[in-house]
Parts: sequence; C-alpha cells; structure tokens
Amino acid sequence: MPNLKEVRNRIQSVTTTKQITSAMKLVSASKLRRAQDSILRFRPYASKLREIMQRVAAGVDDLPNEGVFAHRPVKNVLLVVFSANRGLCGVFNANIGKQVMLLLENEYAEAFAAGKVDFISFGKKAPDTLKKRGVVFSHEYNHLIEKPNFDEVSEIGNILIKEFAHGKYDEIVLVYNQFKNAASQATVSETFLPFHFSSDAKDTGDYILEPEREKMFEMLVPKTLRIQLYKALLDSIASEHGARMTSMHKATDNAAEILKDLRLSYNKARQTAITNEIIEIVSGAEALKG
Amino acid sequence: MQIEIVSPEKQLYAGEVAMAQFPGTEGSFQVLNNHAPLIATITAGSIRVRNVSGMEETIEVRGGIVEVQKNKILVLAE
Repeated sequence: MPNLKEVRNRIQSVTTTKQITSAMKLVSASKLRRAQDSILRFRPYASKLREIMQRVAAGVDDLPNEGVFAHRPVKNVLLVVFSANRGLCGVFNANIGKQVMLLLENEYAEAFAAGKVDFISFGKKAPDTLKKRGVVFSHEYNHLIEKPNFDEVSEIGNILIKEFAHGKYDEIVLVYNQFKNAASQATVSETFLPFHFSSDAKDTGDYILEPEREKMFEMLVPKTLRIQLYKALLDSIASEHGARMTSMHKATDNAAEILKDLRLSYNKARQTAITNEIIEIVSGAEALKG
Repeated sequence: MQIEIVSPEKQLYAGEVAMAQFPGTEGSFQVLNNHAPLIATITAGSIRVRNVSGMEETIEVRGGIVEVQKNKILVLAE
C-alpha cells in the first residue's frame, strides 16, 4: 500500500502541472487565433497576386535560364528552416529536425558532405537540436517568430534572391510546417529558388498591361517570392501555436486522468489506515475483557 | 468606383472614390470611372484618391500592383 504522505505530495505536484498546462493551452489558443487571423487577412492578397501572375505569365513562353530562373547543377544549397523559439509543442520541432536530416541524407548528401550546404533559421529550436548533428546556421531571425513583420521578411527575401542570382546558391529550399488546422500540420520542404511557375491561363483577357508583359513578369517574380517566404513564416507560426495547444490539451487530460487514479489510491490508503486503527482498538479492548 | 488598397498585413484603404492617381513604373497615371481593364505595376510613392465629395487623401506605398476592372480597383501594395 502506498504511503499516505507520498500520495499527497504526488497529488499536489500533478495538480500544479495541470494548472500550468491548462494555462499554456489557453495562451496558445489565443495566440493561435491571432496567427490564424493574419493568415486569413493575407490569403486574399496571395490568391489575387497568383491570379494576376497567371494572367501576366500566360504569354511568357520561354523562361530564360538565368537570374531567378537559372537551373544549375546543384552544388551549393541553402536551407531556410522554420521552427519555434520554445518547446512543449509536441512533435512540431522534432519533425522539422527530421525533415532537415532527411534532406541532408538523401537529396543533398553530396553537398552536405562537401560542406556546401548553408542554413538560415527562423526560430531557435531547430539550431538547438541540429547543432549536435554538425549543422551550423549562418543567420538566425528568431525575433520574427514572435512578431512577424512583412517588411523585414521581404528584406530577407531580397537578399536570398540576390544571392541566388549571383550564383552563391544553386538551390534554396524552405523547410516548414504547413498549417492545415489547429490539430494538424504537415511538415514540408519546398523549393524557393530557382523560380518555377506554370500558367494554365490561355491569355490575358482584355487587360491592358503596363509596363509590357515581359517587364511586368520580371517585376512580379520577386514579389511572388517575397510573398512565398512570408507565407511560410505565417504558416509556421500558426502551426506552432496549433501544435502547442493540442499537446497542452492532451497533457491536461493526462494530468486529470492521473489525478483521478491518485485520488483513488489516496482514499484507499486512508481507509486502510482507519480500518487498521479500529481493528487495533477493538482487538485491544477484546484482549482486556478476556 | 470602389477602391481597395491592401498590404500583406492589413487593409490600408477602402472606399468609394471618383479619382485615383498612382505612381506607375512608367510614369504617374490616373484612373477615373469606367476605365478600361488594366494591370499595372507601381513604384514607391503615394497613391492619391479623391472621394465622391471631393475630399483628397494620399496613401504611401513602397510599390505594388494595380488591377482595374469594371469600376473596381484593387491595389496589392507592399
């Protein structure tokens, strides 16, 4: 039979844990709502841009094999890794680490062995876990996880575009958790550069284009890329809060379950103690009578 | 005609206007009622709008795209 005091201490500690996890769940829920709002505000923008891009790209036949479109043999790679600044969000960070290692063991094994894979990170958990595997991050933009800011993200986007166009990297890949809904995220790696776009529109419709098509297309491409980077960040943030909310919800449920069991064994132990005491008194009295 | 100016983060302006003037990449241009469908890029500068009662307002942008169609203007600003 477990000792009464021991059980009492455990009940105390589990209760405290439960309070913390349920508070974290509430905080994550409200953060998730905010993150979802910014995705919802951003979505019409992105889809409109896509639509315009479709129209403009309709008449552009051959993309030049240079600048952002250049397909070069892949020697130098840049991985842009989105994770969280904090833990306690289930498999959110672990999945990112796994995805990165998967890329390094398969697609980019050669480049990685030659030390030609560069890493930048949004969120400090990925660098923390990947450090042990010999992955060195050259830049970390961790503050953007707390406060996503389009201007800063688009600055970073411009730098990436420039570095790619100058041939510093032959491929740039984003690794992040795509937001499906509060309970599910999909870890994806998507090619950021070289820029790939196929239009299914036949023609522009009756739109007047100003400047002319080719020039406009050239201007739209970097814009689309900046938007893509920003979208990855927003998705990752919403996924993080969703993942944390779900895992904290589960933790709270677990704690409640454990508390139920502990209370039961506490009550049993207490009852046993009382019964024992009564037996002692009764048998003592019986003995005196004897 | 209706105009809506949005950035990736929020809506910057929306409303009924009589005139809108944009800092186009090929030079400034103006859009009045019943303008032909148009897609144009704009550079950093200010968008000037005049509403139906003649009040003028300017909105600063750092570049973007304008789409005009059927008396509806949409600006994807940055």
